[in-house]
Amino acid sequence: MDQALIELEGIGLTLPSQAGDVEILRGIDLIVARGERVGIVGPSGSGKSSLLMIIGGMERASAGVVRVVGADLGVLGEDRLARLRRDNMGVVFQTFHLIPTMTALENVATPLELAGRRDAFDRAAMMLDAVGLGHRGAHYPAQLSGGEQQRVALARALAPGPALLLADEPTGNLDGRTGEAVADLMFRLADEQGATMVLVTHAPDIARRCSRILTMADGRISEDRAPIAGAAQ
Amino acid sequence: MPFLVMPFWVSLALRELRGGLAGFRVFLACLILGVGGIAVVGSMTAAIERGLAAEGRQILGGDASLSFTYRFANDNERAWIESQGQISEVADLRSMLARGDDRALAQVKGVDGVYPLYGALSLSNGGDLAPALAPTSGVYGLVTEPVLAERLGLSPGDRVELAGVPFDFRGTIAVEPDRISGGFALGPRVIALTEGLRAGGLLGPGTLFTALYRMRVEPGAKLEKIRDGFTDAFPEAGARWRDRNNAAPGLQRFVDRLGAFLTLTGLAALAIGGVGVGAAVRGYLGRKTKTIAALRAIGASAGELFAAYALQIALIGVAGIAAGLALGAGLVALAGPFLAERLPVPAEFAVYPRPLAIAGLFGALTAALFALWPLAQLREMRPALLFRDLNEGGTVRPRGGMLALLALLAATLGWAVIGLSGAPDLALWVVGAVAGAFITLRVMAWLARVAARHLAHACWLRHRPGLRLALGAIGAPGGQTGDVVLALGLGLGVLAAIGQTDANMQRLIRAQLPEGSPAFFFVDIQTDQLERFRSLITDVEGAGRIESAPMLRGVVTHLNGVPAAEAQIDPDGAWVLRGDRGVSYAAAPPPGAVITEGTWWEAGNASEPLVSFSAHEGAKLGLTLGSTITVNVLGRPVTARVANLRQIEWQGLGINFLMILNPAALAGAPHSHIATVHASPGAEAPIMRAVGRALPNVTTIRVRDQVTRVSEGLQDLGAATRWAAAALLMTGLVVLIGAAGTAAERQTGEAAILKVLGADRARILASFALRALILGALAGLVALAWGWAAAWGATRFVLDGPFVFQPGTALAVVLGGALLNLAAGLAFSLYPLRLRPARVLRRAAG
Repeated sequence: MDQALIELEGIGLTLPSQAGDVEILRGIDLIVARGERVGIVGPSGSGKSSLLMIIGGMERASAGVVRVVGADLGVLGEDRLARLRRDNMGVVFQTFHLIPTMTALENVATPLELAGRRDAFDRAAMMLDAVGLGHRGAHYPAQLSGGEQQRVALARALAPGPALLLADEPTGNLDGRTGEAVADLMFRLADEQGATMVLVTHAPDIARRCSRILTMADGRISEDRAPIAGAAQ
Repeated sequence: MPFLVMPFWVSLALRELRGGLAGFRVFLACLILGVGGIAVVGSMTAAIERGLAAEGRQILGGDASLSFTYRFANDNERAWIESQGQISEVADLRSMLARGDDRALAQVKGVDGVYPLYGALSLSNGGDLAPALAPTSGVYGLVTEPVLAERLGLSPGDRVELAGVPFDFRGTIAVEPDRISGGFALGPRVIALTEGLRAGGLLGPGTLFTALYRMRVEPGAKLEKIRDGFTDAFPEAGARWRDRNNAAPGLQRFVDRLGAFLTLTGLAALAIGGVGVGAAVRGYLGRKTKTIAALRAIGASAGELFAAYALQIALIGVAGIAAGLALGAGLVALAGPFLAERLPVPAEFAVYPRPLAIAGLFGALTAALFALWPLAQLREMRPALLFRDLNEGGTVRPRGGMLALLALLAATLGWAVIGLSGAPDLALWVVGAVAGAFITLRVMAWLARVAARHLAHACWLRHRPGLRLALGAIGAPGGQTGDVVLALGLGLGVLAAIGQTDANMQRLIRAQLPEGSPAFFFVDIQTDQLERFRSLITDVEGAGRIESAPMLRGVVTHLNGVPAAEAQIDPDGAWVLRGDRGVSYAAAPPPGAVITEGTWWEAGNASEPLVSFSAHEGAKLGLTLGSTITVNVLGRPVTARVANLRQIEWQGLGINFLMILNPAALAGAPHSHIATVHASPGAEAPIMRAVGRALPNVTTIRVRDQVTRVSEGLQDLGAATRWAAAALLMTGLVVLIGAAGTAAERQTGEAAILKVLGADRARILASFALRALILGALAGLVALAWGWAAAWGATRFVLDGPFVFQPGTALAVVLGGALLNLAAGLAFSLYPLRLRPARVLRRAAG
């Protein structure tokens, strides 16, 4: 498929543990086209976050082939994977993972600096403005609320203009109203930038805003469907 | 089944300990190293002290010894001494041993047939001493230390001359039982029969020698009674007493001071280790945050949790101290037989409880002091704060009771160090210096953090995220900056201070030689040889100024009529009364003499004995103008009134006498002369040859040789000090490793985030390396600053010379700091780089 941004074939993930190997993912096949909004839902431990990590090259699949933006992640080394993320992906986590010793502005500018962009700080300031935190650029993460930290993380993820936005329960640590606001922002910015989005969430309201919902159970995709209006209620 | 119900905090402590000691490796290593080091030094010192005490007879060469300066005991004195038991008469003097034109300064011991009374002297060839020294065809024999035989290329049977008197060289000395009681010798040992020396005229009136009468007394005889009996019978003899209980007082003092110095170095190491202990406890409690928060939330009180964790740390601390003591005692026991053969002093190696108890006490107090702060912080933290982040709790200040306990622990440790180290004055300085260094380094670390935090956001750091991350980490609260600056700063600071002081000391010693110092001292010049001596020197091209003075030696027996032993004096002046001192007489002040008080006597004044005394030492002894001082010269007491006080520049290496009397005071006393000769380096050998040939009885002391010997001795001492500093640095390195290990947890998270953002491993590693390099160099700079200050003080006020900054040593310290921290940092940075970001981030989120 020409428009495919993500192609997964027969993905399996087995991780070692003290009690023996644990099979996290089993035989996942998935194709995500450019511009799609894919929501991944399912109970805890079903493998949602692991699948997202494999798509982002942050975890290596034990079996199968992973192709993202045309690159076979299985044959890339750690550094090539890092550069692939730098040039093509933005990632948002539930626990934000901002660098505590850097200000909000510096956090947003970091991926741009890593890409060697001379306008890193101008662009970072613009992105902070876009998430409504232009006035908080000199603040450290510890001086920001949870919602503000997540907005900084979102600005950081989208600042380089990635083709793919990966979000792992981005509202999981936020209260309902703040989570909704962050989600609004995320969808709006992704739309504006034309980024493909893969989103792991427990929130049905947020999942419903996606163009496609994957439901996972026991390491497998048990359902792949379009959202049903009003299902959340 | 009924069990003894343990309090909650005890059972919690025991349950928590089931997790093992993995988080306490640095804690244990710091304690084991510090306590073990102090235990080793204490056990070694005790072994040597016991050895000296046990072999006091052998070292002294008798149960007791009486020594006379420049004379043998008279008939009455000798008869009295002989009535106490068997005696051995020994004469000790300096002389020149020559083989042809090759000459060497030697410390000569004249012995009799019963020498040694205790122990055995053995020769390298296995032969006996008596036949080796006995005359053959009218020529007496002598034996020497191997180094002297080697220097002169001697083989048994060679004819040599001692002060111009022929002797046969018969072999070298393998073991000299009383070798170390002699103190500082200017040359290697030569042993000959006293009768041979006498026959050659080497022990005539005016010759500089010491006669020693060693006694073997009846078992059970009271030595003090014998000493007092002699003093009562011969109050004016001016003889010095020594007995088996104090056989080598100079050596004993040296061993005590060295032991105290090394103990204090060990304590400084323990203080550095304390930083590691504190960091380990902080890290451990940090990892337990969630457990502690949960326990607080379900009703455990702050006091119970404090007690539980304090008990855990106390139990682990006891294990560390026990391991340190076992290591220290075990090392000494294992190395004992090996060391006993190689040490120049006797030692009895065993397990000595007192030094082990002291080491254990120091370890316990240090561990308690450094562990208490983070424990006290835990007590003050609200559960809500615990749930958030322990780093925020780092700013919590313990309250009154805990602060008082901390102060009490610090005071007890200071008191224990000063009271138990064996050198209270030195200990006071060390405690002050370590406390000062701690405070200074803490302030410097804080300043460094503030500066790094500001620098991290400077405009010029834009587009350098690696450097910004490095500076941000250095400036972060709760980071490793404080521990690294303290641990490296203390260790490297001591190295910097030693390096700068050592280099300045060597420079001062060398620099003084060309500046007006004499090339030679000549002693034993007889009065009738003085003119000949002067003309011999003047004839040599390149010879310069000659100064000479009459030379006698005397023992100060009374100050203002009070026996010297009972006089109240400044301890710094005690050395004047300890042995015999040089005495001279002069009608006019010596050239360049600076009289600070009083006036010089009129030439020809013979009304009463007068003395010109050193102003500095006089003040220490409480002497002022008009005071009286009694000096025993050649068995005759001379009581002189202080007519003036003189300023003496000892560093000038000229002829300086503490006491110069008016000529009338010493009229008729047999004496020789001492002379100094200035000469160009090229003239030194011809002067030695000329004097050696024409006046063989005159002893030549080449200043350059002695300065080299002193310089070498100082280098040895410097090397020993550097080893001690290296031990400090080793403890510092353990703390660094601990700090790097703690930092690695933070770096793991940072590496994962940076990988997600697109940084490759080389870039991340470069940032980590940069952080370690900057922090290490910073610690090196701080160490250099306070090491420089200490060295400046030591050079300026102790060595009394100008301080010159030594850039080589300084650079080594800064580079050393940077590289040490880099090595420790990199060792822990590689692991985080290998981890997949997903696993790290998932763990961090969980």
